[in-house]
Amino acid sequence: MMNELQRLLANKLLSLADDELILAHRNSEWTGHAPILEEDIAFANIAQDELGHATLWYRLRTALTGEEPDELVFFRAAADFSNVQLVELPKGDWAFTMIRQYLFDALETVRLPVYMESEYRPLAETAAKIRPEEIYHYRHTAAWVKRLGLGTVESHRRMQTALNELWPYTRQLFAPLPGEAALIEAGYLPDLTRLEMDWWAEVEPFFTAANLIIPAFTETAVISRTDHTSHLADLVADLQAVARLDRQAVW
Amino acid sequence: MSDSSTRDTQWPRFELFQQERPGKAHVNVGSVHAPDGEMALLNGRDVFVRRPECHNLWAVSARHILAKTAAELGAEANWQDAPVPAGTAPQLYRIFQKTTQRRSMSYVTHVGDVVARTAVEALKLAQEQFAAANVFVWWVVPAAAILVSNEADVESMFQPARDKTYRQPQEYRTVTQMQEIKRTTP
Repeated sequence: MMNELQRLLANKLLSLADDELILAHRNSEWTGHAPILEEDIAFANIAQDELGHATLWYRLRTALTGEEPDELVFFRAAADFSNVQLVELPKGDWAFTMIRQYLFDALETVRLPVYMESEYRPLAETAAKIRPEEIYHYRHTAAWVKRLGLGTVESHRRMQTALNELWPYTRQLFAPLPGEAALIEAGYLPDLTRLEMDWWAEVEPFFTAANLIIPAFTETAVISRTDHTSHLADLVADLQAVARLDRQAVW
Repeated sequence: MSDSSTRDTQWPRFELFQQERPGKAHVNVGSVHAPDGEMALLNGRDVFVRRPECHNLWAVSARHILAKTAAELGAEANWQDAPVPAGTAPQLYRIFQKTTQRRSMSYVTHVGDVVARTAVEALKLAQEQFAAANVFVWWVVPAAAILVSNEADVESMFQPARDKTYRQPQEYRTVTQMQEIKRTTP
């Protein structure tokens, strides 16, 4: 039996894993369609890395709950996924995909070093394993955002449009799960306010240097991770289609 | 003026050189297209060394490379006579050779450096200093034109592959399962 802290931790791990899984799936939709061959390879690599990270987080949850990652990924109802809406939105154009990836990678860049200090050692060890890849992702995505932000009139327009569209969704990244305060209290996870400040300190000067303007927040209620856009159900149906053809099949 | 349907919109080509381990020579593993050197290094990492061993990566724009085959050098009797513009300062050139016709994943290998005023002068010196039985191809590249990955990048750019089983095909049971199905299906 899990105690209350373990139950909360399992929920948190699920949210971390779901974010990575759904982002990986969206990114994988570019495979064969990226703007140039080299980027097609690079971005497929990044998608595979994110999928790998999802697997690592799911396995940490498995250690607590016994649930198999494949079960969670292929046989869970879309409504039970706990990812943020940021990652479930359709891939849009390349500008949209790059801005989204940048916003997410910037969060990884600031939170993984803090996770490495976690009192929950499996979480700290997993963060240490993921971190070098995320340093690379951030460098890669930042390079694109900078060049497109400072590029042509058209590339700049698309980047600014994407940032305007995506920015409101970033708020959800820093919304605590129900009961998350207890995990922070236990030293398992960092305070999200601190992460948000670190993240802001990273992205604000970066966007300025890329000639992109961060839109003002229109204050709205923070979206819960149980609320999704209709896009998630479509994505999950696509993701699960083959596995659900034959539940008994061995993969 | 050419219209957009005929204009070449391809980005410049960069050649990539992989060094597997400290102390080993850099070898040319292929090329990528990129808008600039930083993107060339990043693309090169993804295309060529995400899984293989790599300690250091070089990228150089193809326009900085003097490439000569042995056949070309034999046919161009006066290739050494190219004039050196007055006041040209000497600089370091990196010399690469292809010395085998065996099929290989790599092309030319870095064999050493010379100081010269021009690439042609560098090649002339290289022929004396790096003589070998069969040099099928020579490349001469000014060291200043080479973008080099940082020592600090080793962990984030190259090392992750080692303990990331999810980058390996074996991690995905589908492959072994398909082989099993093929094996057991009459």
